[in-house]
Amino acid sequence: MNQERISSPEGLALLRQQLQSRRTADKPCITVCSGTGCQAYGCQAVTAAFREELEKRDLSDQVDILTTGCHGFCERGPVVVLQPQGIFYERMKLKDVAEVVEETIAKGEVIDRLLYQDPRTGEKIVHERDVPFYKLQQREILSMNGMIDPTSIEDYIAVDGYSALVKALHEMTPDEIVDAIKQSGLRGRGGAGFPTGRKWEGCRRAEGEIKYVICNADEGDPGAYMDRSVMEGNPHSVIEGMIIAAYAIGGHRRHGLEGYIYVRNEYPLAVKNAGLALETARSYGLLGEDIAGSGFNFDIQIRRGGGAFVCGESSALMQSLQGNVGEPQAKYVRSVEKGLWNQPTTLNNVETLANVPLIIRRGWEWYAGIGTEGSKGTKIFSLVGKINNTGLVEVPMGVTLREIIFDIGGGIPDSKEFKAVQTGGPSGGCLPENMLDLPVDFDELAKVGSMMGSGGMIVMDEGTCMVDIARYFLDFLKEESCGKCVPCREGIARSLEILNRICQGKGRPEDIDLLEELSETVQGFSLCALGQTAPNPVLSTLKYFRHEYEAHIFEERCPAGVCKALIEYWIDPELCTGCGACTRVCPQEAITGEKKTPHTVTRSECIKCGACYDVCRFEAITIRSAGVKAAPAVEAVEAP
Amino acid sequence: MMNDWIKITIDGHETMVRQDTTILKAATDLGIEIPTLCHHPVLEPYGACRLCTVEVLQKGRSRLVTSCNYPIRNEIEVQTASEQVLRGRKMIIELLWARCPEARVLETLARSYGITKPRFEPREGELCYLCGLCVRMCNEIVGAKAISLIQRGVEREVGTPFYQFSEACIACGACEFICPTGAIKVTDVTDKEPRPLLLDFDMGLRGRGNIYIPFPQAVPNVPVIDREHCLHFQADACGVCQAVCPPGAIDYEQEDEFVDVEVGAVIVATGFDPFDATHKPEFGYGRYPNVISGLEFERLASASGPTQGKIRINGSEPKEIVFVHCVGSRDKLEGAEYCSRICCMYTAKQAHLAHDKIEGAKITVFYMDVRAFGKGFEEFYDRVRAEGITYRRGNPSEIYKRADKLIVRAEDTLLGRTVEVPADLVVLATGVQPREDSAQVATMLGLEMSEDGFFAEAHPELRPVDTQRQGVYLAGTCQSPKDIPDTVAQAKAAAARAIVELSRVKRELQTTAKQGEGRG
Repeated sequence: MNQERISSPEGLALLRQQLQSRRTADKPCITVCSGTGCQAYGCQAVTAAFREELEKRDLSDQVDILTTGCHGFCERGPVVVLQPQGIFYERMKLKDVAEVVEETIAKGEVIDRLLYQDPRTGEKIVHERDVPFYKLQQREILSMNGMIDPTSIEDYIAVDGYSALVKALHEMTPDEIVDAIKQSGLRGRGGAGFPTGRKWEGCRRAEGEIKYVICNADEGDPGAYMDRSVMEGNPHSVIEGMIIAAYAIGGHRRHGLEGYIYVRNEYPLAVKNAGLALETARSYGLLGEDIAGSGFNFDIQIRRGGGAFVCGESSALMQSLQGNVGEPQAKYVRSVEKGLWNQPTTLNNVETLANVPLIIRRGWEWYAGIGTEGSKGTKIFSLVGKINNTGLVEVPMGVTLREIIFDIGGGIPDSKEFKAVQTGGPSGGCLPENMLDLPVDFDELAKVGSMMGSGGMIVMDEGTCMVDIARYFLDFLKEESCGKCVPCREGIARSLEILNRICQGKGRPEDIDLLEELSETVQGFSLCALGQTAPNPVLSTLKYFRHEYEAHIFEERCPAGVCKALIEYWIDPELCTGCGACTRVCPQEAITGEKKTPHTVTRSECIKCGACYDVCRFEAITIRSAGVKAAPAVEAVEAP
Repeated sequence: MMNDWIKITIDGHETMVRQDTTILKAATDLGIEIPTLCHHPVLEPYGACRLCTVEVLQKGRSRLVTSCNYPIRNEIEVQTASEQVLRGRKMIIELLWARCPEARVLETLARSYGITKPRFEPREGELCYLCGLCVRMCNEIVGAKAISLIQRGVEREVGTPFYQFSEACIACGACEFICPTGAIKVTDVTDKEPRPLLLDFDMGLRGRGNIYIPFPQAVPNVPVIDREHCLHFQADACGVCQAVCPPGAIDYEQEDEFVDVEVGAVIVATGFDPFDATHKPEFGYGRYPNVISGLEFERLASASGPTQGKIRINGSEPKEIVFVHCVGSRDKLEGAEYCSRICCMYTAKQAHLAHDKIEGAKITVFYMDVRAFGKGFEEFYDRVRAEGITYRRGNPSEIYKRADKLIVRAEDTLLGRTVEVPADLVVLATGVQPREDSAQVATMLGLEMSEDGFFAEAHPELRPVDTQRQGVYLAGTCQSPKDIPDTVAQAKAAAARAIVELSRVKRELQTTAKQGEGRG
């Protein structure tokens, strides 16, 4: 595409008008979510099928197809929204496509089968806006994902994209921008929650030949994909934020300015969409030389990370950008003074940057009106684990965990009990039920031994063993510790060693104290935030679920029935009908018994896979503590 | 701003430091010791071992920082051994010790912190605790960048790319040198042959650095830099010696200089060259490592030598030792018809030392004649024989190897038959030769040379220290082989002779001057 460069605010306004006028509000549009989640469900085939179907019926001119970024409701993908009515169809299959075109597009009939059903009320919901998952959120950043094709800069411009940039460059001084960001109360979304405005101010004041703006898109928390969705679904918002940041820290100065997006290579769609966005922004004159006719120059390059978790840590990221091993460095001299190549550097997270255009466009007063005293604006969480509505959730700071998990997330599946929620990624803390009314913001979470992190939220039900969970996260952190500093490298590995033996029923009475002692050192003495926060899963589970540790160590019992070494499967002869279902699934042929008579499990053969437990329709198979002669049922019943 | 002085307190001691001084430096200057394993004064601070963590109090807020890389910029109060610091430090030491149970440095550290046994499963055989000194040495100082820290977490290790032998490695051995536990070997990094630099004074039996003191009594007794091998001169890298020398004595600009001195007399005392035993291939010198020269044995037996006076060949103690007299002396084929005059007695001394140091040693000496002519020499020779050392008359014809023994083959001229004596060590009593450059010196000074190649005295009996040239005198072995007492005596004679000459000239000059005055 070879279009005119935008050289003035008027130019952008004109273009927007043209783009908007091309769209008629009532023209039908099939919006297919093409985020990574929905792609995994096969949305690309669905899109192709829609195209084919429309062509077959000669409707291509009358109906638009829009492939967008992630809508957030990944649990129900592939998600399709039919505009202008906003009809929400979930879990679209290929075979449904023809029917949707036939019934809904052509006749305007709603297909009941494809609608979302509220699991709590049983009510079928027609419109996307009425789905409780969406209704209770405040989707300032994510909402745009559903409206635009991330590969189209025109789509972004049509929904007011780049107007904040033009406003910043033409109407505001860099100091005014810094001030607006400070006033807005925006804090870094990558985890530490450092006030963004103060960071920019520090970088603006710092002396250097060149200043760098880095977008940290090296999201690595297991189960978290907020940044990925923004980067994939709306890359221009991040780029716009970066240019504004660059102008704020380096505008009206004579030193050089360079921008980098550091994105992990495991996010191929994010890499692709960001690259395309940079290219189109450049061709519109919104990036590069003389941006939007303001005389301000700034360009951005993409650097792909190799997938080390620690490279999401700012100083390690900068090392990696410099071509070194991604190892964190001491931060006694802040990176706004000496960062990348020892020059003043501003590093912001994807979500932080995506907030910037909103603040500039709508004013800091609007932004500061959302959220709590110390944490402003909205925050995206990725809600995963034992939760009905897995997906991305954007809520104002200060909503309670209960609202997020039960109202938006739809609660725990299979009518299980809630047990804990881990916030803040692998090094966050696990909070128990009595913390559910905690308002979620940076400070409140830190107070109770967890953290905001970048917004991961993993929900656990009663079938989760908290020792096992701590073990799981430490196992991840052990693998991802860069190994540079002793407390993190050795301390995490040794903590894991202890947790492993506790899970195997070989815990020692002194282990809990030793874990606490180790954790204190790892927390206090580690070089970077990875190590400093690594003990959180252990410390928080020790704080809120200490009895589970004690049960493992002193009673050799796993209360949740998860730790294989401590459980065994037992068939209750009273309940067993001898149907033989269990014998058929047992991979070990460990279950024996005559037909129609109670079966038994041969312990020496059983590998505790739980297959029998899952197929038994008579609840005859129970998990009980290993070595227990009688059959006292264990507290929890879920198979591992 | 950069040169501002800042007042800080470390463990209650107030001090002023320049801005951006590290806490570790400030504490060290105050004599306060902070333990560290990854810090080295010539390397960039690394902050990995975390042992040097201290507590910093500022504006009522306390936090833990690593002292090695914390630049002081504000008035702070530092506690290097607060309760919290000590607790963490102990845990770190315990963790490290469990990782490397055999690392002596950790054991010592652990014991000094009252840790008797780590509470974690020890990791047998691990010596590397990943301080990164070797890697940083290679990268920052040598500039070869042959090794790096690879893998993550507890899998982290020092290694080369793809575990292949490094092309970039220059086999300098700096990594091995700086490693506190001996965990890294140059041979792990490269298959290039490391070329150890050998100390001449110890006959190459001991290695040396690129900067070294040639021998303990060297004059002046200061280190010299081997420019041929010094990284600074060869690759414009390193500079460690200059960085660590507290008085700043290292001067890379220093050059050799020619000095013109006006003198009235010259005493030539240029010494001798030891005979090069490779000229006698039948003895296998240079081929068998356990055939050594008398001078090499001297260093082996010396308490300040490479083995601290323990006689060791390839690490083990020789039990059967053979000494061979007259190697390069009284040998027409070698053009050395003369007797070197020192070998009989030094061999006797060395045989005695070997007997003394090695219990049950079987020592044989092959000789032509024993010339024990000095005062007390004959008595010493008798004593040595009485110690049980076998003297056999005969000149060995060949030394060869059979199994792991050397066989010295000779004709015992007293018995009149050929004998073969097995040996773990053969010491060749190498003789004295004129210096290689003696002809050059002779031309320069206008000296004459005797047939044997030593400088010729003016008259063997009447003018034994004079030369044909007035004002030039001879002392020591440049004139002919002699032992130390003879050398000292001759040196004193030469000195006296020079003084006589100088005073004669002085007197003449004075007389001339007086006559001149009288005339005037």
